Amino acid sequence: MRGCFAVPEPTVDNKLMRRRRTFIDLATHTIAVVGGLLCLGIVTAVLGWIILRGAPHVDLHFFWEASRESGLAGGIRYQIAGTIILMLTTLAVAVPLSIGLALAATVYLPRGAARSALQGFLQLLNAMPSILFGIVGYLFFFHYLGWGKSWLAGGLVLGWMILPTVTISLIKSMEAIPLKQIHAAAGLGMRRGQIIRSIYLPQSVRGLFTGSFLGLARAAGETAPILFVATVFAGVSLPEGIRDSPVLALPYHIFVLAQDSLQAGAIENLWATAFVLVALVIGLSLTVLPFRLHNSNRRDHA
Amino acid sequence: MDSLLLKKRYRPDLWAVFSWAVLGLVLGVLVYTLATLVVQSLPAWREMGAGLLLKNDWFFRHGRFGAAGMVYGTIVVGLLALALALPLALGAAIWMAEYLAPRSRWGVKVLIESLAAVPSVVYGLLGVLILRRWMGEWLAPFGAWSGDTLLTGGVLLAIMILPTLTTLTEDALQNVSQRQRAAARGLGLTRGEVVWSVILRQAMPGVLAASLLGLGRALGETIAVYLVIGRMDNQLPERLFSGTALVQPAQTLTSKLGGSELYIALGDPVHWGAMMALCLILLGITGLCAGASLFLNRLWTTNS
Repeated sequence: MRGCFAVPEPTVDNKLMRRRRTFIDLATHTIAVVGGLLCLGIVTAVLGWIILRGAPHVDLHFFWEASRESGLAGGIRYQIAGTIILMLTTLAVAVPLSIGLALAATVYLPRGAARSALQGFLQLLNAMPSILFGIVGYLFFFHYLGWGKSWLAGGLVLGWMILPTVTISLIKSMEAIPLKQIHAAAGLGMRRGQIIRSIYLPQSVRGLFTGSFLGLARAAGETAPILFVATVFAGVSLPEGIRDSPVLALPYHIFVLAQDSLQAGAIENLWATAFVLVALVIGLSLTVLPFRLHNSNRRDHA
Repeated sequence: MDSLLLKKRYRPDLWAVFSWAVLGLVLGVLVYTLATLVVQSLPAWREMGAGLLLKNDWFFRHGRFGAAGMVYGTIVVGLLALALALPLALGAAIWMAEYLAPRSRWGVKVLIESLAAVPSVVYGLLGVLILRRWMGEWLAPFGAWSGDTLLTGGVLLAIMILPTLTTLTEDALQNVSQRQRAAARGLGLTRGEVVWSVILRQAMPGVLAASLLGLGRALGETIAVYLVIGRMDNQLPERLFSGTALVQPAQTLTSKLGGSELYIALGDPVHWGAMMALCLILLGITGLCAGASLFLNRLWTTNS
């Protein structure tokens, strides 16, 4: 027995050792708590500052009035309208493309290298700096097609930008469909197209929602991609055509005003606009939180 | 019977057509984009050679394009942000994954992720209105002319990538199997020892992948950096790690590309080519980070 469970004889070092171990344990706990609290402090400071400075100036007039005196007075009516137009276009671009890509990645591409290459490509695309989307868009729509600034160009660029986010989320939920269901459907004699329509698509709506909302939250706040292709600071209300019809947008409004922030009148409007934009973006990403919570819980139990 | 079989005519799988078409379109656009960037940057490479990347000499009115200063600015700002944010993120991740109860962990995670959703232009605004003033006051004794410095950009970027870095790191720690924790505790290790000798050791590739992703994001960030960096060309110190360079304005690849020089460049093929070359350099640097992160993640998930 004693040979099997060899317990070291107590030595003089034991006390020192124990102290050392207690110290490591305490130090780790301290580092972790300090890091966590600092992180939380920064979060609260940033959000709190935006809310405290921005929220008092936001009222119905601010939403409803057009901006006057180059953003120094008035509200942000057309900036909100422009952002909504851009987001709807973005969605209309990203959703069909992502469905096609996700089907390619889960159904049509041969298993193995091709699928993982597509996934890798999507992750690389996701990490591409947003300014590059803007410049490539400028190159294509302005240089090549000869368009002016246009809401459609902005929506197309933003749609491409959020394509990986939506597709990856869609692929995840398609891969989570139980194989049993697919086999059962095939056993019933359904063709591949029918299986896609009645199993793959309805079962992955959750992933589509999650991805789209997260993507939109990113697209709504991005300035760099629409800087050159879609937005102006003032002088337009709602777009009337396609080719030369820019829009106003919330992030671009903040971007331009922030550059001549020396004027005192601009600052109140600036914080209020920032508050509206942050509320919109955080609202969008919190909407799909229950879905993501659900997914991660499943992972925790695995 | 025969007639029944004959009735079942061939129907093309329209979803397949659609899916392949989308795949073709996406790949086509990608190839078109890369090809255009390369082709349009050719005049500049032909004119400047490797000096476009290696020389610190950007005077577009004299037709001289050397982007070394911008590459330096980009890399220093990115590394600075990572160096400032990583210790905090790692501490916070350890706290969330190892010490917090699941319910409060989720509360903290939601709060931190909602910060990750805040748009970069809003961080830029915070930088312009608050951080720039503070940095201007703090750095004045060290010889800063104003609050628009390389360091300001680094600090702002650190705050920006902190939430992403924290959640990704926390995910990596969380991915270490619960059995490993239980086994280590069962051997009599304290919580602290479990963190250092089991969790961190196993999650290291994941943490590294998260840092690389964060670094890539910091390197490619435009708007916030644009607003606080000062945008001064040709700032390349003689020593690589120079303290004086940190308190002076600088230029990054992204702040150059986001500025109005793009409009000016449009008429001149060499100038435009130089801008496109900047795009390619930026794409190369961020692609390297993202690719390495992806590689680490794959390596790690196939091993365990």
